[in-house]
Amino acid sequence: MNPRKLLRIARWEVTKNAGGVDRRTIVVGALALLAVGIATPYAATSGVAVDSGIYRVGITNESAYYDVVREDPTFAVRDPQADLGEEIELRIDRLAIDAAPTPKAAAAQTELRSSVRAYNNRQMRQESNQSAAFPVRVSLGYTERTQVREVISTGDGQDQTADDEGTGDGTDGGDGDGSGGGDEGGTGTDDGSGTDGNGNDGTAGGGGGENIDDVAGGTGGVGGIAGQLAGGNTSGTPADISPPFPFQSLVLAFLFVLPLNFIIQAYGSTMVSERLNRRGELLLVAPVSRFDIIGGKTLPYLTGAIGIAAVIAAALELPAVDPVSVGISVLAVTPIALLFLGATFLGAMFARSFKELTFVTVTVTVSLTTYAFVPAIFTDVGAVALISPLTIVVRNLQGQAIGLGEFAFSLVPPLLTAGVFFGLGAGIYREEDMFTQRSIPLKALDALAARVHGKWSVAAVTAILLPFVFVTELVGVAALFAIPDALSIPTMLVVVVVVEEFAKSLHVYAGYAHDRFEAGLWPAVVVGAFSGIGFFLGEKIMLLAQLVGLPSEVVEGLIATGTATGVPSIPIAIGFLLAPLALHVVTAAISAVGASRNRRAYLAAVVVAMAIHFAYNYTVVSIGGF
Amino acid sequence: MVSDPRVAIARRDLASLSREKTIVLALLIQLFVAAFSSFLVVGLTSLYDPGASAQGEVDIGVTGEANESLLRAIEDTEGAEAVQYRSNATAFEGFQNGAVDAVMIATRQPDSRISVQATAPEGSIRTTLVVVQLREVLQTLERQQRDIRAAFLDDPPVPLPGEVSASPYFGFTYTILLPLLLFLPPFISGSVAVDAITEEIERGTLDLLRVAPVDLVDIVDGKAAAMAVLAPVQALMWIVLLSFNGITVSNVPLLLVTVGAMAAIVVVVGVTLGLVMGERKSAQLLYSIGVLALFASAVFLPEHPATTVAKLAVDSATTTTYVLVVVYVAVAVGLYGLARRYTRGLDVESL
Repeated sequence: MNPRKLLRIARWEVTKNAGGVDRRTIVVGALALLAVGIATPYAATSGVAVDSGIYRVGITNESAYYDVVREDPTFAVRDPQADLGEEIELRIDRLAIDAAPTPKAAAAQTELRSSVRAYNNRQMRQESNQSAAFPVRVSLGYTERTQVREVISTGDGQDQTADDEGTGDGTDGGDGDGSGGGDEGGTGTDDGSGTDGNGNDGTAGGGGGENIDDVAGGTGGVGGIAGQLAGGNTSGTPADISPPFPFQSLVLAFLFVLPLNFIIQAYGSTMVSERLNRRGELLLVAPVSRFDIIGGKTLPYLTGAIGIAAVIAAALELPAVDPVSVGISVLAVTPIALLFLGATFLGAMFARSFKELTFVTVTVTVSLTTYAFVPAIFTDVGAVALISPLTIVVRNLQGQAIGLGEFAFSLVPPLLTAGVFFGLGAGIYREEDMFTQRSIPLKALDALAARVHGKWSVAAVTAILLPFVFVTELVGVAALFAIPDALSIPTMLVVVVVVEEFAKSLHVYAGYAHDRFEAGLWPAVVVGAFSGIGFFLGEKIMLLAQLVGLPSEVVEGLIATGTATGVPSIPIAIGFLLAPLALHVVTAAISAVGASRNRRAYLAAVVVAMAIHFAYNYTVVSIGGF
Repeated sequence: MVSDPRVAIARRDLASLSREKTIVLALLIQLFVAAFSSFLVVGLTSLYDPGASAQGEVDIGVTGEANESLLRAIEDTEGAEAVQYRSNATAFEGFQNGAVDAVMIATRQPDSRISVQATAPEGSIRTTLVVVQLREVLQTLERQQRDIRAAFLDDPPVPLPGEVSASPYFGFTYTILLPLLLFLPPFISGSVAVDAITEEIERGTLDLLRVAPVDLVDIVDGKAAAMAVLAPVQALMWIVLLSFNGITVSNVPLLLVTVGAMAAIVVVVGVTLGLVMGERKSAQLLYSIGVLALFASAVFLPEHPATTVAKLAVDSATTTTYVLVVVYVAVAVGLYGLARRYTRGLDVESL
């Protein structure tokens, strides 16, 4: 790759590409974005709800629920005389609620229950006697469970005798509850030395009655999230408690992914337009390598994506922009951007028409957004969330520190996968594939075969395909998150086996289809063995890389997805180093022998290899006691 | 009988779609989106809804001098079970060895309030569920305490209606899933319409079509019609699929008319953009930004199209809903007329 040539092609791409974006487009696009910009704050402030008016309630003015129903946009107020079930779901007469026997009416009742709660809280805020209106103050803290008894007494400072201000005041309530509470107070103080313990004296701090509105307002959520993650606590009224769901950060993180979808639209068009009417031929015959061309044509879009990410990151922290934090966000978004571009590039190389490219682009958008977004939802739950780089953005937005190991674990697989996409695409960036209507399977074989020249390259390609395997498997694991264990382990094993066996053999088959290898049984076994060795070595290197500074939960997942090389219950150390090697060599050799014959033999051989692999994994997993 | 050239062109475009089998890909994407969003909601609901998962019961360790009130609140809350501890230390011991999922310490404060210190496990999948249950308990406690203190309140709180078992996915199905499934096909149709026009222009095959005895208007009409028809067909498929899953969708004909109108609007926008821009890159870019802008600015309507669809499907339609459907159809027809006039005045040689 020659940087000067690459930059020149990049300049052409920006200035005089056949499909360059002209000024008119930019103006119209900016106007459209402006419309979005105007509509979004309006939607946010006026509270446009998609579910407005879906439940119809017949209610009289006198009913205590009248204001509740009227103020909640989800309900539509109707005539109480209307036909129950046909025209209304609920009929409310004073305090009596009549519901139609439909699921819709049941949902309406549940909704009414939560709106009554919200309405009461709103009403109570108007009360003059705030301690009677909000008689319960809550502080919520999070403590890690270590399952070790000793830690309890020493950890979290529970022994510190906190202010026992509450003890004597039970009778001040001036009601029936006071006496009962008094008794309880007695027993409580007898037993516990520090009633208020638990280390966080947040009750008094949050209990200041005058800031209820602040706590309940919009800032409550953000502070809550940040507070919980900082190891602190939330406090306020019961309604202020919210589960640790990083909703706000997720929405913000989505901002980073959204522009990528527009960028790949333009990028895909550029790439596919090279293939129209042999336009790309001029560049192909120029004294530049295909990597210069691809790199040069990709660079402007990558720069654009990174630039937009930087602007968004800076805008999010606007009052006090911290360059380091912006840098972390940008660094985390870069692999996602490369992944989007790489997948689109490969799609544009394969697409037979514009329409097909549109479908491919939508697929890329949907699947990669899912990949980036869904694991990030579980940011607070476990380290598995780190398979998406967006988790790093979310954590960064929450002000958490990110370790180097987490960074590597999160960024390297998508980066390598993007590399595989570009590498495969580059394999068919040539006249025979670009300007002809070759069928998709043939093109796929071309793309793989372009990288295969001998037994050593077979091993290398297998190793290079590993990140792809790794990401596919991890996405599979993430998708199986919610399935019960009994089902998820076998399903996971099937996913793993299918992905790995194809990764080990597909390019071997492609090589045979292109006559890259000698025919015959023995050469096929050798090629297969090299593929197996490549896989084994790649897996070991990746496992080593991941073991550095990774939470145990993730490592466990990795071991489960891999060939269980780390299961300690197999006694002989050499045994569990050599067993997977033997497995990979044998299965890859079986598929290679099949691949050397013809397509049908290949498919049959792969199925046999999968069966062997599955049996092996299943045995190891059951011995390992998963 | 002479067949209409527009029908021939529409048929040709649809045939090319089915030959490439890419329409299958499009359907798969939609299925994936639907499955995934449902999976996500089901998964997320099971994270916080005790009824949705098997291990729903949350055990709460209770201590502190005001634990009597707290115990009463837990008793009144479904899915929560109280374990009384005599001291904080034993409660936290129970918390640490997994006997209880959470600890609540209730104390009385000088201003007669009850202060509750709740502790939930950190970084566990159950945390969300536990916290939601704690909130449930605390809200019950708050209500009970308010009732006790009713004499000190100017207005007593509105009584809380009883709990009923309802599907937690009901609202999601009609207000998110269905609009998503019904609006995705028009969006893709419009995008493909952009391709249908720009591909002919960029490949130079529009000239070949021009040699045939058809008008440019007919060509554009045929291509637009092919794409616009696809969307309601897909929508109908989704509605049928949903009803297989026991989700009844009302007002199906009106929903299809709405989807058809939406598809017509975006397809006309796409085709016009294709003709104006003449190349895919700018046209697609503007199309996707433009549709996003259209969808976002729909919030200024008295009812967002997503709400219109939801209200029609759940059978809560109002006059506004019906009027808006008519408006969408009128806008679609009007835009089509404008686009047709623009196309007629277009000089083909300039494309």
